[in-house]
Amino acid sequence: MKILVINAGSSSIKYQLYNMKDESVLASGRVERIGTESAIVTHEPAAGPGVREVSGILDHVTAVRRVLDLLLHREHGVVASIAEIEAVGHRVVHGGETFKASVLVDDEVKRSIRDLFDLAPLHNPAALMGINAVEQNMPNMPQAVVFDTAFHQTMPRHAYLYPIPMALYRRHKIRRYGFHGTSHFYVSERAAEMIGRPIAELKMITCHIGNGASCTAIQGGKSIDTSMGLTPLEGLMMGTRSGDIDPAVVPFVMSKEELTLGEVNSMLNKHSGMLAISGFSGDMREIVEAMEDGDRNAKLAFDMFCYRLRKYVGAYAAAMNGLDVLVFTAGIGENSAHVRKAVCEGLTFLGVQLDETANQRHSKDARFISAPDSRVKVLVVPTNEELIIARDTFRLVSERKAAGDSPVSRGQ
Amino acid sequence: MEGVRPDAFFFVIGIGIMVEKSHYQIKQVIGLTIRKVGVVGAGTMGQGISEMLAFKGLDVLLTDRSEQHLNHGLRQIEQSLDKQIEKWALTKAEKKLILGRIRPVGSLEEMADCDMVIETISEDLNLKKQVFTELDRVCGPDIILASNTSTLSLTELAGATAYPERVIGLHFIYPAFKVDVVELIRGLKTSDETFETVRRFVENTLNKQGIMVYESPGFVTSRLICLFINEAANLLQEGVATAEDIDRAMRIGYSFKHGPFEMADRFGLDSVVAALEQMFREYGELKYRPSVVLKKMVRAGQLGVKTGEGFFKYDEDGDRI
Repeated sequence: MKILVINAGSSSIKYQLYNMKDESVLASGRVERIGTESAIVTHEPAAGPGVREVSGILDHVTAVRRVLDLLLHREHGVVASIAEIEAVGHRVVHGGETFKASVLVDDEVKRSIRDLFDLAPLHNPAALMGINAVEQNMPNMPQAVVFDTAFHQTMPRHAYLYPIPMALYRRHKIRRYGFHGTSHFYVSERAAEMIGRPIAELKMITCHIGNGASCTAIQGGKSIDTSMGLTPLEGLMMGTRSGDIDPAVVPFVMSKEELTLGEVNSMLNKHSGMLAISGFSGDMREIVEAMEDGDRNAKLAFDMFCYRLRKYVGAYAAAMNGLDVLVFTAGIGENSAHVRKAVCEGLTFLGVQLDETANQRHSKDARFISAPDSRVKVLVVPTNEELIIARDTFRLVSERKAAGDSPVSRGQ
Repeated sequence: MEGVRPDAFFFVIGIGIMVEKSHYQIKQVIGLTIRKVGVVGAGTMGQGISEMLAFKGLDVLLTDRSEQHLNHGLRQIEQSLDKQIEKWALTKAEKKLILGRIRPVGSLEEMADCDMVIETISEDLNLKKQVFTELDRVCGPDIILASNTSTLSLTELAGATAYPERVIGLHFIYPAFKVDVVELIRGLKTSDETFETVRRFVENTLNKQGIMVYESPGFVTSRLICLFINEAANLLQEGVATAEDIDRAMRIGYSFKHGPFEMADRFGLDSVVAALEQMFREYGELKYRPSVVLKKMVRAGQLGVKTGEGFFKYDEDGDRI
C-alpha cells in the first residue's frame, strides 16, 4: 500500500512516496519554478542516486506528470506501475470552519476549498491546482486533503473569537484559525508516547518554531488555543514576520509613511521580526552566530524572540491551569539549544528544569531535554507533517474500502 | 487499478517526448497562455508596465529605439524598485528576481519570441504605425500585438498590419504598478479570441480589472482626466486660485490621490498636451483645446517629474520638494 503525499505551492510541488506497511519513504523530491522554461526537478529515491534536471514545466499538470515519470523511471523509479499507488494526500493550508478533519476529495470538497480562497489567497489556489493536476494525470485516483487549520478547530469560542464587532465574524468569518496544526498534532502524540502516559490526561504546550512560528496549548490531546490567528502573522515573533503588535500601529504607519495596503502587508510579513531588529538576517543560526561575536542588535533580536515565546508559554500554562509537557519542534525548535535554554531558564517557576547536557546534544530523534526530576517534561520532537498526511490518507482510503465492501453500508 | 487511465503507463517511455507533447496539448486546450511579453518603448509607461509584468512573474523583453533610451529606462526601473524596498513593499531578493525577468533587447526582431507585445512609444500615429508594420512582419500571426495608446485609433494601427485580428488596445494607467484597472480596446477587426485571451490575461494573470471600451479617442479614462487637467490649467490662468490650492481642494475634496497639477506632472505635460491635441483634432470641440499654460510649459521643457519641474518641483526620486 503506497501513498503519494503532495504539497503544492503556487510555483512548486514537494512530494514523498510512502510505503504504509512500515511507513518508510520510498522517494521524495520537489519541482521548483513551475511556470518557467527552467523548472528544476529534484528526485531522491531512498536507495540509489538522485536526479536533478532543468526543463520547461509550464503548469502543475505537467509537474505532476513529471513526478510520476520519475517514480516509474527505469533507473530512478521506485514503483513498477502507477497502480501501486493507492491514493494521493495533499496538504491544504486553510480549511476554514468547514473542515475539522482530513477528508477524501470530491466535487463538494473542491468547491469548499475554493470558497476559502479569500482566507488563504496564496495557498489554497495552489493546493487546488495540485489536486486538479493529480486528477488530470490519474483520473479516479482517490485523493485526500489534510488541513493546517483542522487540528485547531477544537478551540472554544472564547479562544477563537476576536473582540471586534461580531458582524465581521458573521460576514467574513474573521476569527482565529491557527496553523501548523498537523505538526502540533504529530509532536503532541509523539511526546505522549515518549512519556508513556495517555494524552487525555496531559496538559501540553507545543512550540513549532521554524520560518513561521506558532505555539499551541493542548489539553487532553485537543488544541484549546494557538498563537496564529486569521493569518500566520499573529502570535510569536518570527524570522521576518512581526507577530503580535498593537493593531493601531497599522493605520498609524500607513498614514505617517503613506503606505498602501500591499506595502504595509509586505512590511509586516517580510521586513519585520528578527530581520528588522538584527538589521541583517531573519535566520536564527546567523543571529546566534553574530550574537556570540558580540553583535548587540543580534542579541536584542534573540532576546525579543525568546521573551515573546516565553510569554506565550506562561499564558498557555495559565489557560490550562497547569503544564505537564513542553515540546519544541521545527527548524529552530529542533536545532537551537540556545533558544530552548533561554526560554526554559525563565520557566523554573512552572517546574521546568532543563538538563543542560541533554539540551546540547544534537540528534535527529525525539528526545527528553528536561532533568529527570523536572516536574514539567521538556522534549524535542522532530516534526513530520508528511507522515500524518500519509497516515490520514491511508486511513480514509481504507475506511472507504471497508465501507464499500460491506453490504450493510451500501444500503444507506 | 481500474481507475488508472491506460495511457498513464506510457509515462515511463520517452520522458522528453511526453513533456514536449503535453506542452503542446496544454496550448491546445486553454488557448494561448501568455508568459513572455515584449514591451516596445522604455519611456514612463514602458518602464512601469515592464516592472509590473516582471513583478507578476512574467518574462519581459524590453526594447527602445536607442541603447541610451533603453539603459535609461532600465535604470529608472531599478530606481523604482529601490523606492519600493524603502517602502517595505519588496525585499532585495525580490528586486533581483524582478530585474532578472526583464531582458533588454536591441531590435524588434527579437520580439518574435514573445506571446504578446505591448507597444508603449509616444503618441505619434506614424511612428506607431511603423512599429506595428515591423512587429507584424517579425511576429508569427498568433502573437498578440497590443498598443498602450490612449487616444489614437486602434483600427488605424491595425490597418498597418497584415493580421489586424490580433491587434488590440491595452491602455494601462500610470502608475501601471499600482493602478489595477486597464482599458481593453477592440478595434474594428480585433478577433473574439484575441480579446478573450487578453481579458483573461489582464484579469487572471495581472489581477487587474479590465474595462471593455469601444474605439473612441481618449476612451474613458484619458478623455475625462485630460479635460480635468485642462480645466484646472484654465482656472490657474484665470487667477482663480494657486496651483497648490487647486490641487489641495480636489485632493481632499474629492478623494483624489493627487490633484490635477501633480497628476499632470506625473503623467508628463507633453503627454497630456499630445492627448488633448489628438482629441481636439478628432472631436473638433473647443473644450479639448490644450490650455495655453500647458503648452507654454511644454515649450519651456518643463515637463513634470521626469524633468524635475512641472507645476511643482521634484527630486530625483520623483518626490515633491
